[in-house]
Amino acid sequence: MDALPEFKVLNPATLDEVMAARAAHPDSKPLGGGTDLVVNIRRGIVAPPVLIDMTRVAGLHAIKADANSIEIGASVTLTQLAEHPVAIEHYPVLAQAAGLIAGPTHRNMGTVGGNLCLDTRCIFYNQSEWWRDANNHCLKTTGSMCHVAPKSRGVCFATFSGDLAPALLTLGAEIDIAGPNGRRTMPLEKLYIGFARLRGDEAAASAAQARQDIPVTETQGDGKFFLSLRPGEIVTTVRANNTPGLRSGYDKIRIRKSIEYPVAGVAVALKREGDRLASLRVAFTGTNPRPVLLDGTAALTGGGLDERVFKGLDALVRDQIMPMKTTFTPGHYRRRVAGVLARRLLTRLFEG
Amino acid sequence: MNEIVPAHNIGGYVPMIDGPEKVSGRAKYTADILAPGQLAGRIYRSPYSHGVIVAVDVSDALDVPGVVAIVTGADCDKTFGVLPVARSEHPLARDRVRYRGEPVAAVAAVDAAAAAEALRRIKLTVRELPAYYTARAALAPDAVPLHEKKPGNLERDVLFELGSIEQGFGEADLVREGSYNCAEVCQNQMEMHAAVAEYDAVRERMTVHASTQVPYYVHLMLSQILGMEMSRIRVIKPHVGGGFGCRTETLNVELIAALLARKANGTVRLVTTREETFITHRGRPETDIRLKIGMRKDGRITAVECECDQRGGAHGGYGIVTILYSGSMLYAIYDLHNVKYIGRRVLTNTPPCGAFRGHGTVDIRFAFESLVDEMAAELGLDPFAVRRANLLSAPTFTDNDLMVNSYGLPECLDWVEKESGWSKRKGRLSKSKGLSKGLGMACSHYISGASKPVNWTGEPHATVKIKLDFDGSIVVLSGAADIGQGSTTILAQTVAEVLGLDLSRVRVVTGDSEVVPKDNGSYSSRVTFMVGNAALDAARNLKSLLTAAAARKLEAKPEDIECLGELYRAGAQDKGATFDEVVTEALKDSGTITVTGTYSTIPESQGGKKYRGAAIGGTMGYSYSAQVVEVSVDEDTGVVTVDKVWVAHDCGKALNRLTVEGQVQGSVWMGMGQAMSEEAAYHDGLMITANMLDYRVPTIQDSPPIEVGIVESNDPHGPFGAKEAGEGSLAAFLPALTNAIADAIGIRFNDLPVTPDRVFEAIEKRRRTLGKGNEAGR
Amino acid sequence: MARILECKLNGRDRADAVADNVLLLDYLREKVGLTGTKTGCDGGECGACTVLIDDRPALSCLTLAATVQGRRVDTIESLGTDGQLSAVQRGFHEKLGSQCGYCTPGFIMASAGLLRKNPKPTEEEIIAALGSNICRCTGYVKIIEAVQYAATLNAQGVAP
Repeated sequence: MDALPEFKVLNPATLDEVMAARAAHPDSKPLGGGTDLVVNIRRGIVAPPVLIDMTRVAGLHAIKADANSIEIGASVTLTQLAEHPVAIEHYPVLAQAAGLIAGPTHRNMGTVGGNLCLDTRCIFYNQSEWWRDANNHCLKTTGSMCHVAPKSRGVCFATFSGDLAPALLTLGAEIDIAGPNGRRTMPLEKLYIGFARLRGDEAAASAAQARQDIPVTETQGDGKFFLSLRPGEIVTTVRANNTPGLRSGYDKIRIRKSIEYPVAGVAVALKREGDRLASLRVAFTGTNPRPVLLDGTAALTGGGLDERVFKGLDALVRDQIMPMKTTFTPGHYRRRVAGVLARRLLTRLFEG
Repeated sequence: MNEIVPAHNIGGYVPMIDGPEKVSGRAKYTADILAPGQLAGRIYRSPYSHGVIVAVDVSDALDVPGVVAIVTGADCDKTFGVLPVARSEHPLARDRVRYRGEPVAAVAAVDAAAAAEALRRIKLTVRELPAYYTARAALAPDAVPLHEKKPGNLERDVLFELGSIEQGFGEADLVREGSYNCAEVCQNQMEMHAAVAEYDAVRERMTVHASTQVPYYVHLMLSQILGMEMSRIRVIKPHVGGGFGCRTETLNVELIAALLARKANGTVRLVTTREETFITHRGRPETDIRLKIGMRKDGRITAVECECDQRGGAHGGYGIVTILYSGSMLYAIYDLHNVKYIGRRVLTNTPPCGAFRGHGTVDIRFAFESLVDEMAAELGLDPFAVRRANLLSAPTFTDNDLMVNSYGLPECLDWVEKESGWSKRKGRLSKSKGLSKGLGMACSHYISGASKPVNWTGEPHATVKIKLDFDGSIVVLSGAADIGQGSTTILAQTVAEVLGLDLSRVRVVTGDSEVVPKDNGSYSSRVTFMVGNAALDAARNLKSLLTAAAARKLEAKPEDIECLGELYRAGAQDKGATFDEVVTEALKDSGTITVTGTYSTIPESQGGKKYRGAAIGGTMGYSYSAQVVEVSVDEDTGVVTVDKVWVAHDCGKALNRLTVEGQVQGSVWMGMGQAMSEEAAYHDGLMITANMLDYRVPTIQDSPPIEVGIVESNDPHGPFGAKEAGEGSLAAFLPALTNAIADAIGIRFNDLPVTPDRVFEAIEKRRRTLGKGNEAGR
Repeated sequence: MARILECKLNGRDRADAVADNVLLLDYLREKVGLTGTKTGCDGGECGACTVLIDDRPALSCLTLAATVQGRRVDTIESLGTDGQLSAVQRGFHEKLGSQCGYCTPGFIMASAGLLRKNPKPTEEEIIAALGSNICRCTGYVKIIEAVQYAATLNAQGVAP
C-alpha cells in the first residue's frame, strides 16, 4: 500500500465555490469519480496539492433531455447516462458509449466531465514511479524522450481513450466551461487541441511550439497538451441536439470485454434518405492523442452505401487515424480494426 | 428411536468448511494482521537489469524521521532457493543485481509515508553489465554469465532418448514438425504477497506470518537466512488468497520482513503492491518448443522428438525441475516409445520464473496436442480416433519408468465427445459471413504429488494428527496449506467419513508450526492424495482406539463392535454406547487422545534412473483430462469468443464434487487466460505488463460456461480412490482452443496468446497470399 | 490536512479524524479495522475493494475517504442479520462462488448492489453487473450460480 502524497480535498457545494477554490489554488484539480485521477496520484504521475470534489456541486448532476436536445451535467455518472431512457431512445450513441466504459462499478463512479477530460494514456506513462524512474521517465512527465517514438523530437504520442468524446463529436456537441473569467461555450471539438490534423514534421514543430507557449493554442498539441482548457477552467455541461431521422451508435474493441480502455472505439451518426446516405459523421477514440472526428465524410454522402463509401472511409481512416505503440496491442491492428468497426457500424445503422 | 446410521461425507456436494469466514469478511489474510506499533516495511528494488553493485548508500534514508531500520545485502550473506542444488538467491542482492526489480534494500518505518520517503533517498551505484532478455541472447557464446557457477547461462540441460527415434520415424507414414512459442505468464493470485514478521528480542524468537503455500519451506529458509535455530522460529500461514504455484517456494518477501523485524527489534508488516507481486514473479517461463512427431496411417504415434528452451529468469528457483517435467511428462498420457527430449533452462536478466499450475507440462502439452491435431487432419483421422489409437493400458510403467495404475482418459474422451455433440457437430458448425464457429479437442494429465519431494529427509511424505478430548470434538492437525483449493475441507470430510460422524464434529487446525505437524506444503497437487491418505490413516487409528474402548464398555470383542458414528454397538440387538460414552471410556487410559497417521509413496512410483533427473514426473497417481472447446471467430476483427467448454476430468474419486468442479473449472479458465490474453512482457527487462490492466486476466464477461464431467477411475492407492483435480485440466484448454480456431477458420496458431491482433494478422496474411486483395471485409 | 469525517458506516453514524489523502479503503481497513474489504491491485483493476456507497457498488481503492462525507457506506461486514448469512453470502458459500476468498467480499458487495437494484436479474444482467471484479480461482461459473441462488433466496425473504 503506497502512501499517497499530501493533498487537501475541498468539497464545494456550488459552482461559485468551485470557481473560488480554483482561483485560490491554481494547481488544484477537479476530482470526479477518481477512476482516472486517483490512479494517477497513486502512481505518482501527478501530485496536485488540492483536489476539488465535484461530486456534490449543485447543478452538475442532471440530464435534461427530450427528443430534440440533451444537456448533461459534468458530474453525471456514466451509469446514469447509460441507463437514461431518453438517451437510450434518442441518443443511442451516448448511452452505448457510456455503457461500454470500463466496468459497471467504474461507471457508477466515473463522470461525464471526467471522461471528456480523461488523461491520455501510454504504456510508458501509466506505470509506477519506480518503473518510470527506471525507464528515465518520458516526455509526458519529466523525461526528455518519448519511448514510443524516440525520434519524435518532442512530440508525445499518448493516446486519448475516453469513449464519450467521439460519441458527442458525432452529434456536434458543445460544452459549457466555467473559469476565472466567467463562462463560455464552445464546440466540444475545440476542447481537444488539433494535433490530429497535422502530420510528421509539422506536428513536431507545432507541439514543440505548444510547449513553449503555455497556455497552448487551440490548434496545436500532442499527448501531453491535449486539452484547450485555460488555467482554472472546468467543463460544466455538455449539450447536443438531435435532428429528425438521425441514427447513431457506438462500438469498440477491447481484448477483454470489461474494465479495459478501448483498443479502438468508434461512434457513427448518419442520416438515410431513401437509399441515399444523406449525412455521415464518424469519430474515433483510443487511436490518437485526441478523439478524432473524421474530416471529409461529407464527400462520402449523397449516394447509396456502396463500395465507394467504404473505400472512401478506409482512406480517411488511413489518413487520420494514427495509433502508435502506446498500448501493448500493436498500433497497426488498432488502426485496421478501427476501420472495420466503422464500416460495420455504418452498415448496421444504415440498414437498421 | 430413529435408526442410527453412519454419516456419509464423501462424494457429495459439500461447501467448504471455512466458507462462512470467507463470505463474511472475517477470514484473516496476512495483510489483515494489523496491530498498533507495527512498522511498515518497503523494498527498494534495482532499476538496473544487470550490474555489479558498487555501493548501496542508505545514509540519507536513515535520516528520514520515522525510519527505524534499513537492511541491505550487507546484512545477510546467505542464499536461499527451493532446490538444495540451486540456492543462488540472496534475499537482498549482494555483489550483483540481475534483474530490474530485484530487492536491494528494505526499510522499516513508523508509517508507509516515511518508508516511501526513505526509499527515494537510497542510492544504488552499479557498474552495468550486458543484460539478456531472451534465452537466445543469454545463450550466445560471448554472453556474460549471470552466475559464475553457471557458464553459458545454462541453468540445466536435459537430454534423453528412450528407444530409437530413427527407427520410430522410419516406421511412420507421416512425419511433421512444428515450432511453438508460449509467452511468459503469471499466477496473479488475487492476494498480493505479504508477510508480518515479529521479532521477540528478549527470547530471541521470530514469528512470521506469510502468504505461502509452503510454510515448512519458509521455516527452513528463515532459519538459513537468519542464522537462527529452527526451534526459535514460528511460521504461521493465515488464509491465503490463492497461489497457483508462485508461493510454492520461499519468497524474498517473507525473508526480508524477518530481516527487517530482527534489525528493528519489532514487528514489520510488509505488503507488496500488485506491481511488486508481478515482479516477484515465479510464473511460467517463456517457452520455445520444436516438436517432431511420426505417425502411422492409423494414428499410432511412432516417435517423438522434442526440443524445449525456457527463459528462466535471473535465478534458478524451480527451474531444473520445470525443464525436467517438460520432458518426463511427455509420457504417462499416451503409449509412447522412441522419444527424444532436449531441454534447456536458461538464466536471463528477467524476474525468476517458478512452478505455475500444471508445472512444466502445459506448454509442452500445447505443442504436442496441436501437432497431433494437425497430423490427424492431414491423415483424414478424427482427433478422438488419434487419441484412442495411442491409449495406455493401466497398470503399466512407461518407458521412463513412470507408474500408471489408474487411467480414466478413455472415459474422459467418451464423455466430452458425447456431451459436446462432437460427431454430429464437428465440421458442421455455421460459417456465416465474417463469423466462423469451430470445435477443437485435446487432452492433458498431471501428477498427484511428486513421489520424491525436493527436500528428501526420510520422513513420511505426510503426517496428520488427530486430537480427541473430553468435549468429543475431533480436531485434525495438519500442516497442509489451504490456499483456497479446499484441502482443509477434504481432510475434515475424510476423517468424518472414516468415523461415520457428521462433518460438524470435525475441526481442522492448520498453518501454525507451533501446533501442527510438518507438511511439505500445497503444490504439485499432493495434498488430497498424500495428506488425505495420512488423514485416512490417522482416522482409522482413532477408530480402532474407539472401537477398543467401546468393546471394553460393552464387554464385547473389538472385532464384534460396529461403528455407526454416533453409536458403537456389539451387534444389531445391542443398545450400544453413544459416541460421547465411548470417548469417555477411551480417555480413561491416556487422558487426551492423539493419534498419528502417515503416508509414504512406494519406491516403484519414484521414477527411474534412465537419465539424470528421471525421478521428476514420478507420482502415485496421474489425473487425466479431455476437453472440447467451441469458439466463434470474428474474421473481420480477429476477436475469438469461447462459446462453451466441455471438460471431463479423471480424479479417481470425487471426494467432494463441488470442489472438484470448482477446481476443474478454475483450471480450464486459467488455461484460457494463458491461451487468449495473458502475457508478461518486458521493455528492456522492465515488466511492462505488471498491472491488471495490461496483464489481462479474463473478466466474467469473457468467460464461457464450463461443463464438467467427473470420471472416477478409482485409483488403488488414492484415498477412497482419489487423485488430483486441481491442475490436470489446465493444459488441454490451450491446444483445444487453437484446434478449434483451426477448425473454424483453417488457420493454426502456434504462438500464445492468441490475441485478436495475431488472429487479424494471420487472416490478413492469408488474404494476401490468396491474392484476394487486402480488404478488411464487412 | 485532516478533517472529521462523518458518515453512516454499516448502519451506524461515525465521526473520525481522517487525513485528506486517505483512501476509503485504507480508512475502512486501518482506521476502523474492517479488514473484510480487500486490496487486490494498485488501483481500480480488480474490484476486490468494492463497497456500497449509497447502495451503489464503488471501488474504495479509488475513493478518497474525504468524499464520502455524509454518505452511507456499507462493507461486507454489514451483511447478514442475527448472525445468519445473507442471501448473497449463502449463495457464495453454498455454491462455491468463493474458493480462496480474497475477491469474495468485493464480488458479494457488487452482487448485493445488483440485487438491491434488481432483485430478479437474468444471467446476462448478473454477468454485466460483475464486470469490474476479477476472480482468479473459479472461472466465474459458480459465481454466476451463486448469485442466481441468492436471488432465489432473496425471493424467499432472505435479505441480499
